[in-house]
Parts: sequence; C-alpha cells; structure tokens
Amino acid sequence: MPQKTSMYVSIMLVAAVLGLMLSVQFRAVNHASNGISIDRAQELTVELKQINKEKEDLSIEISDLTFKLNQIKQGQTEAISALQSELNKVRMNAGLITVSGPGIELVLDKPDTNTGDTQISPELMIIQDEYLLSALNELWGAGAEAISINGQRIIATTEVRQAGSFININLNRVVPPYQILAIGNPQELMDTLGITGGLQEYWRDLGIKVSLEKHDDLTLPAYGKK
Amino acid sequence: MKIRSYYWILLMCMVMGFILAMQFRVTRDMQITPDLDRPIALAQELYQARKSRDQLQARVDELRNQLDNAVTGPELSRLKEELDEARQEAGMKEVQGAGVEVTLNDSNKVLQPGENPNFFVLHDGDVLRVLNELKAAGAKAISLNGQRIISTTEVRCIGPTILVNKNQRLSPPFIISAVGNPETLSNSLTMKNGVVDYLQFWSIQVDVKKVDKLVVPAYTGDLVFDYAKPKI
Repeated sequence: MPQKTSMYVSIMLVAAVLGLMLSVQFRAVNHASNGISIDRAQELTVELKQINKEKEDLSIEISDLTFKLNQIKQGQTEAISALQSELNKVRMNAGLITVSGPGIELVLDKPDTNTGDTQISPELMIIQDEYLLSALNELWGAGAEAISINGQRIIATTEVRQAGSFININLNRVVPPYQILAIGNPQELMDTLGITGGLQEYWRDLGIKVSLEKHDDLTLPAYGKK
Repeated sequence: MKIRSYYWILLMCMVMGFILAMQFRVTRDMQITPDLDRPIALAQELYQARKSRDQLQARVDELRNQLDNAVTGPELSRLKEELDEARQEAGMKEVQGAGVEVTLNDSNKVLQPGENPNFFVLHDGDVLRVLNELKAAGAKAISLNGQRIISTTEVRCIGPTILVNKNQRLSPPFIISAVGNPETLSNSLTMKNGVVDYLQFWSIQVDVKKVDKLVVPAYTGDLVFDYAKPKI
C-alpha cells in the first residue's frame, strides 16, 4: 500500500506543476494577444516618419525663404534674382517647367488579342482610366515629384478620363501603349507598384502587358507643351 | 506494477518537457511584440512632431507674406504678378466662387448574411473617381475636407480614415468642394451611368449640392524637390 500512496503523491505533484504551468502559459498567451499593438506601432511609425520628412522639408523651405528675404533687402538686382528663383520654384511645383531627374518608366499595353485565352472578358482587357488613376495615386503616395503620361504632364487640374475607346488627358487623346514617367526615388516608386498583391500583379492577372524600369535620368515635359 | 508506474512518470515528464519548451518559445516571442507602452510613446512623439510641424508651417506662411510685402518698384511688381499667376496654377492661392459640394459617406445599408461589408465602404478609388470627374468637367480648384488638391495629392485609405497630402488625416463624412460651373460639374457627376450611379449601386451615400459661394483653401506646404531638377 505505501507504494500506491507514493505513486498517487507523485502524480498529484506532477498534476499540480502541470496546472500551474498551464495557467502561466494561459496568462502569457493572453498577454501576447495585446500584440494587435504591433499594427498600431507600425502605423504610428510610418506616420511619424512622414511628419519628420515634412518637418525637414519645411525647415529647408524656411531657410530658402529667409535667404531670399535677405537678398531682397540688399538691392534691386539681388531682389530680382530672389523673386525669379521663387517664381521658378512655384512654377516647377505647378508643372509649368520641364524637369529632369531619376525615376521610373511604367508601360502598360493592351494584351495580344489572339492568345485564345478566354478566361478574361475582353472589356476587362481594355486599359481603363481607372488603372491609370490608381497608378498615379500610388506613385504620388510613394513620393513622386513629377509624372507624365504619354508626354502629358500631370498637374493639379489634369483629368484622366475614358472617352470611348481612348483616354483623354489634359483634353488630349492618348492611346496605348501608355508610358508613365515618374520622377522620384526610383526604388520606392518601383516597390510601391511591385509589392505582392500590388498593382503590377493585378494588371498582369488581367492580362495587361506591364513593363517597369528604373531610370537615372528622365525628362518630363512642362504642362501645355509637347 | 512498479515498471508500469515508471512508464507513467516517463510519459508525464515528456509531456511536461514539451509544454516547457512551448512555454519558453511563447515567452521569447512575446519580447518581439512591442508592449502596450510603445504605441503610446509613439503616439506622444507623433503629437509633438505634429505640433512642431504646425509651428514650422506658420513660419513658412509668415515668410511668404514678408516676401510678398517686401516687393517694391515696377520691375519687381511685374515679377510679383507672374509669381501670383504661378501660385494660382500651383494651387497656392485661395479660390472663391460658385461650384458644387459633394458629400460622401459609407453605406448605411443593413447587410444580409454573406454580403461582403468591404464592398459597401467608401474606398480611396471612389474618391479618386469623383475628383477625376470634377477635373474633367473643368473644376478650377478642388478641396477635400479643407485640404487643397494639388497635382501631387494622393488619396490613401487607412482604416476608416483617408490620408491626403502625405499626412493630413481626414475622417468621414468626406466633403469635396469644387469651384467651377455648378451646372456642368453637377451634371457630370449625376449623369446616367456616371460616378453617382456607380457609387449608389454599392449604396454609398452621395449628395451633390450646387453652391453659389464656395471657398477652396490654398495649399501651404513646402515646395521642396529632392529628385526633380529644372531643365534649362
């Protein structure tokens, strides 16, 4: 009989330790479910990064404006050159000046019609204004500084609108292939379109021919000029 | 009997060992997950950053004003006029006039089981469509919840809010104000198979109102280019 008792005691002991561990584990997992905060932390970090970038840019703007103000006080010729430089900066922002810089080239073209792949209806294979609009939106979001589509510079009032089988941009008719040039950080611009589940994948799934390339030096026309 | 009980203990030890190993891994993983304090600290830092951003913004506004006021003499006035014109194009001037006001909000439809709620929520694409349609109809200036739409404005959905002009967070209802011919603007939105029809198919709340007097605020942010250079 004493042997049986000692066995029960040892089993009880093991069960007690097991129970304790189970409860600790349970609490630990419960605590870990607060891990939703990882998204929140990530979101906040992204926002913080962008605000800090904006602060940096505003500081540059402040020193630039301060410099120009000082120039204006110095005399007529300096004042003229200061105003001229401010004018150029604003014009550049408005898209009224030809600009160059590094960036990406994105070309979207109609799929070949004779592939016999009938899974996707032909209407979906037309490159719609929406596709171009979402491409523009993604690129601006990734920090693009200037964009043109088929030689049409995109400015504040530019529309990209389906009109029958072609698309109107700045009231000019453009036809496929659509060549989108964007100046900005080439890697960031590539990444925003190329991520898994991103636009590039979506277009390819629709059967649209997509090519995406980095360029060191692109030149984008000014608005209103060919 | 003795051997059997040893087997039991062996089994128990194995189970315990296994649980111990798992416990260890869970506890170790937990250290990778940031704890609750981190987001709170970040939120506070963000709040501070926003405040100092606003201060910098105010300084920029003040300096631009000073620059404008410092202009004297005919030669400079001519340049100043050109500057004003360019600012108009760039969206850096407030615009007033007749136009339309479009109010957008998520659907208030009661969902049937099996329906995807995501389809009935306003997406960034929907806002882009409305903006594009207004631009196509000749809108002179557009703002979204008081944020001027300029060329580089992006519209991004983050949860139920929308982020525009890099980090201006807007929440519903979204009010788009567009200055232009009210008749043309409103017709272009409400035409058959147009944007309003499309949005109403998903029961998204759209309201287009013609307004006699609208104010679209100016874009006041920075004009800094890191990559683009003017081509001479």
